[in-house]
Amino acid sequence: MTPRKDLLDIQSLTDEELDFILTNAVPFKNLFKRSVKKVPTLRGRTVLTLFYEPSTRTRSSFEVAASRLSADVVNFSVSTSSVVKGESVLDTISTLEAMRTDYVVVRHSNSGIPNLIAKNTTASVINAGDGFHAHPTQALLDVFTLKEVFGGDVRGARIAFIGDIQHSRVARSTNLLCRRMGMHTAMLAPSSLIPRDLPQDIAVFGSWAELYAWKPDVIYLLRVQMERQNVPFFPSLGEYHRQFGMTDDRLARVRDAGVWVMHPGPVNRGVELTDNVMTYERCLIDQQVENGIAVRMSVLYWLKPGSATEEAVV
Amino acid sequence: MKRLFQHAEIASEDSPKLTRADVLVEDGKIVQVAPSIAAGEGVEVIDCSGKILLPGLFDVHVHAREPGQDQKENIRTCSEAAINGGVTGFVMMPNTSPAIDTAGVIKTVLESARKCRIPIYTSGAITKGREGKELAAIGAMHAAGAVMITDDGYPVGNPVVLRRAMEYAKNFGLIVASHCETMELSGKGSMHEGSKSYSLGLEGIPAISEEICLDRDIRIAQYTGTHVHIQHVTTARGMNTIRRFKEEGVKVTCEVAPHHLIFNHEDVGEYDTNYKMNPPLRTKEDNAALLQGLIDGVFDVIATDHAPHTEFEKNSDFGSAPFGITGLETALPSLYHYFIKDGKFGWDLVVKRYSAEPRRLLGHAPVPIEEGGTAEFIVFNPGATSTFSRDFMKSKSINTPFINKTLQGRVDTVVLGNEVLLSR
Repeated sequence: MTPRKDLLDIQSLTDEELDFILTNAVPFKNLFKRSVKKVPTLRGRTVLTLFYEPSTRTRSSFEVAASRLSADVVNFSVSTSSVVKGESVLDTISTLEAMRTDYVVVRHSNSGIPNLIAKNTTASVINAGDGFHAHPTQALLDVFTLKEVFGGDVRGARIAFIGDIQHSRVARSTNLLCRRMGMHTAMLAPSSLIPRDLPQDIAVFGSWAELYAWKPDVIYLLRVQMERQNVPFFPSLGEYHRQFGMTDDRLARVRDAGVWVMHPGPVNRGVELTDNVMTYERCLIDQQVENGIAVRMSVLYWLKPGSATEEAVV
Repeated sequence: MKRLFQHAEIASEDSPKLTRADVLVEDGKIVQVAPSIAAGEGVEVIDCSGKILLPGLFDVHVHAREPGQDQKENIRTCSEAAINGGVTGFVMMPNTSPAIDTAGVIKTVLESARKCRIPIYTSGAITKGREGKELAAIGAMHAAGAVMITDDGYPVGNPVVLRRAMEYAKNFGLIVASHCETMELSGKGSMHEGSKSYSLGLEGIPAISEEICLDRDIRIAQYTGTHVHIQHVTTARGMNTIRRFKEEGVKVTCEVAPHHLIFNHEDVGEYDTNYKMNPPLRTKEDNAALLQGLIDGVFDVIATDHAPHTEFEKNSDFGSAPFGITGLETALPSLYHYFIKDGKFGWDLVVKRYSAEPRRLLGHAPVPIEEGGTAEFIVFNPGATSTFSRDFMKSKSINTPFINKTLQGRVDTVVLGNEVLLSR
């Protein structure tokens, strides 16, 4: 396997690389059961988190993953005033180069920023979410979780994404990976939040009734991204919940059918789902969070920063 | 001063066939075109074996960036870029800083233009500051030399303002050129709305943004009886709307840019900002339809929408980078490389759509290569190649998809009157 510097999206991963990441996440997860949850794998390496968008769970997940691999973690403080300026990003890249960082974990509201950074630094760049584009580690942890649930083989399983498809990088990346792993995928959302020109073989539904008929094994609730909707895509959050959310009635039906429920977080309670979903025995949200650390450890272990590759050559 | 261009293949708008001939130029005039002309004493002979002579190109859509943005381009560098591409005259757009929206600014830019080696014309803005609210001093700009009016870069959003502008422009016989876009539908879009924008996670500009505005603007032109020129058409449906209105007898002309014939939205690849322009690259199907429209004659002119931006501005994420690519230097080689070479259309189409008709649009006479005419032609070498390196380009900016790429064909010589403006 040729050493890979960056993880920017799901598309560019080879089957061999995918298998490597998902397979190696297993021993890393097993590590969590030990009293000392740390290995010296990345001792002496520096992981820098560069979050231009607010995030708690993804950033913490990367921090924990890096520290469990014994890397030093630095949080780069990004002022909100520099978010929209391409110039500021380029200036930041220069700074990163000067700091000789090994890994840069970046989140930005503009699609393509991680690609731009990756082109301009020798550090390994991990896309932790860019605009509406990609969130590859989320997709990897989601599929890792599904493999656990389905006993290692997800082929043929049916997963439906519900909610703000249009503005969701999770929907793009996870959906793509699920399809690649042999799953059947569907989408349910207000038509205003369904992108045009979706691949032909993705089923698109307009109501829960149609979704029930499709018999999903997994329902993946997406966060309604109100902050990204500069014009209204639906009349109100209340109406959204009534028409598309997982209400108690729908939860009862889902429970009867034994359907698994996922959500990338953070959850909008009363919008995407009711409180009762959080205690549903087949709700995988906490499992997703735990697996996120293992998968991100595996990704950090797998990537080879420019400096590390040079050392290997020497 | 006499120059003899020997063994050339002459292109004209009247025939797809080239005519082998020698061309004798004396004191800036074409004095003889004949199968064979003997070189007399004191005559400079230029061997054009295997090369094409065609009338100088004329571009009705160029952003020279002066005044105010000379880090990107200025009128002089723009004119040199034009010569480098075989363009011997062009019309500047008014989206400068400040906008070209008064007689005073018109005079200023024309003063700069007079120092250049080719004739340069300017358009004026339709509205003050191109803000779409109040009409600019259209009559005064016309008197100062404006050849058309446009708010290019933006549409005139308010249909009432556009109506009044069209009615008023009629008094001066001015063409109203229209950048068709429904801004509310375009939103923050940075490329064509489709499968590629979805996969890249970029907000899209839907085709209907252009098509709705185009339909509206032509209907207003029809109602007011004004000549409207639709700029940079990109969609098959929009083009067919124009075709229909033309058949109804509406005074509408339109242009297509080479990049909208050659590239489509998939070419954006992984956020290559040299493929970011407005209107955006559409689909492969649109490419094919536009090409057919050019061949059928729906498009009156080819125009590049030459839009220089600094490397610094373009070296940004796709969403933040400015719209626009340069085109003056790449247009002719790209038309040859992608279309003429493979027989998709002939040289006559280039002469008609990129030399003769653009001049006629402004009420100027074409510049055919014939006896008695002014010498204004280029020598194109189909056997050579053009590599668009920084050294090759004369524009201040190099934001083109062709940067560092090689195309078949090269502009070898540009002649204007008594001057040889370019000789490679």
